[in-house]
Amino acid sequence: MDTVKAQQWLIGIFSVLLIVSLLIVAGVEMKKTRTFKPEIEIDETTAKCINCHEKKGIAVKLIDEWKESRHAVMGIGCYECHQAAEEDFDAFRCPESEFIIGKHPTPKDCNQCHEDQVKEFNNSKHAAAQIMMALKGPDRNVFQPTISTKHGCEQCHNIGNYWPDGSIGECDACHSKHRFSLKQARHPETCGECHIGPDHPHIEIYLESKHGNLYVAHKDEWDWNYPPGEPVPFSAPTCATCHMSATRTNKKSTHNVSNRLTWESQAPFSVRTQEYWGGISWQEKRANMEGVCYQCHSQSFADRYLLVADLVNLQYNEIWKATIDWMNLLKKYNVIKTDRFMYEGDFITAWPKEGYDEEVEHIAYRNWHHEGRRFRHGAEMMGADYTQWHGIWELQENLVKIIEYGAEHGVPEAKRWMNSKDPNKFIMYALYDIPGSTWGPSALMYRGQMPMDRIPNYWEIVYKNVKAAYEKGLLTDKQWALYEEIYKNKDKEIGRIYPLPELHEELLKNLNYDLKKLYPEQKLTLTPFNIPFQKGSGY
Amino acid sequence: MSWKEWFKERFPIDYQKFVEFNERIFIKEPIPVHMKKWFYCMGATPLILAGFQIITGILLMFYFVPSPEMAYESIRHITEDVRVGFWVRGLHRWGSNLMIIALLLHMTRVFFTRAYQKPRELNWIIGVMLFLVTMGLAFTGYSLTYNQLSYWATTVGTNLIREVPLIGKWVFLFLRGGEEVTANTLTRFYYIHVGFLPPLLIFLIALHIIILRLHGVSEPEGFPKGYYPFYPHHFYKIIIATLFLLTLMSTLTVILPPGIGVPADPTVTPAHIKPEWYFYPTYRFLKLVPLKVGIYATAAFMVAMTFWPFIEPMIAKKKETRIKTSFAVGALTLIITLALTIWETIAM
Repeated sequence: MDTVKAQQWLIGIFSVLLIVSLLIVAGVEMKKTRTFKPEIEIDETTAKCINCHEKKGIAVKLIDEWKESRHAVMGIGCYECHQAAEEDFDAFRCPESEFIIGKHPTPKDCNQCHEDQVKEFNNSKHAAAQIMMALKGPDRNVFQPTISTKHGCEQCHNIGNYWPDGSIGECDACHSKHRFSLKQARHPETCGECHIGPDHPHIEIYLESKHGNLYVAHKDEWDWNYPPGEPVPFSAPTCATCHMSATRTNKKSTHNVSNRLTWESQAPFSVRTQEYWGGISWQEKRANMEGVCYQCHSQSFADRYLLVADLVNLQYNEIWKATIDWMNLLKKYNVIKTDRFMYEGDFITAWPKEGYDEEVEHIAYRNWHHEGRRFRHGAEMMGADYTQWHGIWELQENLVKIIEYGAEHGVPEAKRWMNSKDPNKFIMYALYDIPGSTWGPSALMYRGQMPMDRIPNYWEIVYKNVKAAYEKGLLTDKQWALYEEIYKNKDKEIGRIYPLPELHEELLKNLNYDLKKLYPEQKLTLTPFNIPFQKGSGY
Repeated sequence: MSWKEWFKERFPIDYQKFVEFNERIFIKEPIPVHMKKWFYCMGATPLILAGFQIITGILLMFYFVPSPEMAYESIRHITEDVRVGFWVRGLHRWGSNLMIIALLLHMTRVFFTRAYQKPRELNWIIGVMLFLVTMGLAFTGYSLTYNQLSYWATTVGTNLIREVPLIGKWVFLFLRGGEEVTANTLTRFYYIHVGFLPPLLIFLIALHIIILRLHGVSEPEGFPKGYYPFYPHHFYKIIIATLFLLTLMSTLTVILPPGIGVPADPTVTPAHIKPEWYFYPTYRFLKLVPLKVGIYATAAFMVAMTFWPFIEPMIAKKKETRIKTSFAVGALTLIITLALTIWETIAM
């Protein structure tokens, strides 16, 4: 072939080759730019596990879950977490290979890569979840058969499991295996697996709050997979946002869920924490939480909200003291046999050692363990209904029931209380209060028959009580300054100095018309059955 | 007064001379007959594509924001919200790919027709420079999308530069604006992509064409002698090529539109990091041999390619041997380049 022909052939062949192959290459690469699923590269060991498991159909779904995980993308396969030494508590030899497998990876395994997270977790109250279980409380150990608590209390309190290898915790309580999805862990429903029900209805409180309302409305628009450690890009907070996520001031996110909690408010008494969960002062924890609130709220609103929530916690303590005082009185008169409802000494829990054989013991227990927590946590997390009807209302009802029980069984103080017609008899404990409303001044809100009108020197005494709490170190200087400022403007805050709007008369008239005039008109007279006990029957 | 006269009064050039100049330089430019064959007239395609790149690039600049927070989001905005944004972006992205393919085709033709021979050596060298500038444009442009793929491609790409002897470390720090790929890197790449390389490209293209015109188009052997004027035959050929390229790029944009990927995350290194495909031959080659060897070999290859017009005459005295060697070198280079590219594409 002469060189001219060769030249033409070479140009022709290579032109076609270049066009075809490079266009295909460019096309393949262009397609990758639209692939959101990362490729998974697995090593030989993991390939062995997966092949065998899939062939035998063992836990195949978990492998599928793992394939969706970040672990898979990062090349963290089965063996990285499941490897074990022969003497490990959960070790077993895989019958199909030479591997020794750890059946149950613990935080010790997670710690290989997630050291910070494990350390933070160990500082959190989650790590102490089983301490409550191991106390000699009769709610689990006396009152219920153990079998019933295995899939009850134990399931949730497992988050703080004490493993034989010395590690504490169960990471997959929140990060479900084997996907360990951030999206799932960030959803409030994950926390709601345990933080639910009559004793700590946190998910319910959240969902009834404005925060939860916004979550339900907008969750589909939110990027649930935002990079960890970055400030939350949501338009409203979830559980993790307030208790864990990074903010502009809390630069780092944390797995110490107690890092921003100033109160231990699950215990019978609300206590400002210090060594408890994290070793930092409650004032520092409060600053951490304020960093969260200030991202969306004005400081004036957030500070006032938190001040009122703190006063609710302090108020609860007084109610609990009253509960114990009545129980002790009942005990003094031998009406009940209980010997353990204390408010000095052991604060972690409060229960009758011998179990719940008297109705009032149930009531007293619920006053801190159920209603008392709902009252406090509702006030902290904007759960109005839980502060109100599921909180203070039931706390008061419980107190009345305890006293009623005493009166029925001849306790003179209880009888005297029952017979009293004084409307102030329900305030049987010291009071905290703050003039005005968190939600803005109102010309009407405080015009009813308020305790401040019935009780002499009401505000002076309330002021003294708040001051006492401040002087005891239970409120910050900033909070006290805010309280004083609000107190000084008491009249404006209470709002009675403002005239009622013109519309008020008309609204009142309409309401009266419907209730007073229409109700008698709409009352029906129906035909009764002729059966016993039916009113109007001739039986 | 006609508008022509009005204008002539205000812009008093010798109109007749201008017409004559235009006729001589453009309309009647003698085109050798071999250029009637499509394989032989691909030189204009990179130029046409460069034109498209400039137009679409300016349009993209209206929306693109070169900051780590906004780069990805603005590209998402262009692709998803802006009217015909996806098309303009698609043209730009596919245009860059096609420009590299077009340059390879042009270089292949020039190499095998040995059009680089004396006295056109300088134009070959300028051509190589144009190729490198285009690669630079593609590399910097790719990194601007700031998604995981491009972020890590930028990281790998700049890491490769670091290994270049003597100046590598300096260029590496200069390009990145520090040790890591950060906001500094993005703004620098953006400036290089829109402010530095395009004028350089235009300057080199001008030089390339001027030298070409001064020498006249080289005429390969094996074709009958003869010329035809630029207008209308070649002019319309270029128009056809332009329309064809526009159609091709639009079709590719529709069939394989460029995605936006997932936002760049400097904290998460993906399992597979790759540069853009036009760096695959180098990338795969560097994986095959020790890094230092790879870098020196690549540098040697670049030097040999650039100065090939001077190297070839030194190979042998006999023209036949020279031609055969040249063909063998060219064919081998292309086969290896294609093989390495395909290998890296298929490899996990």
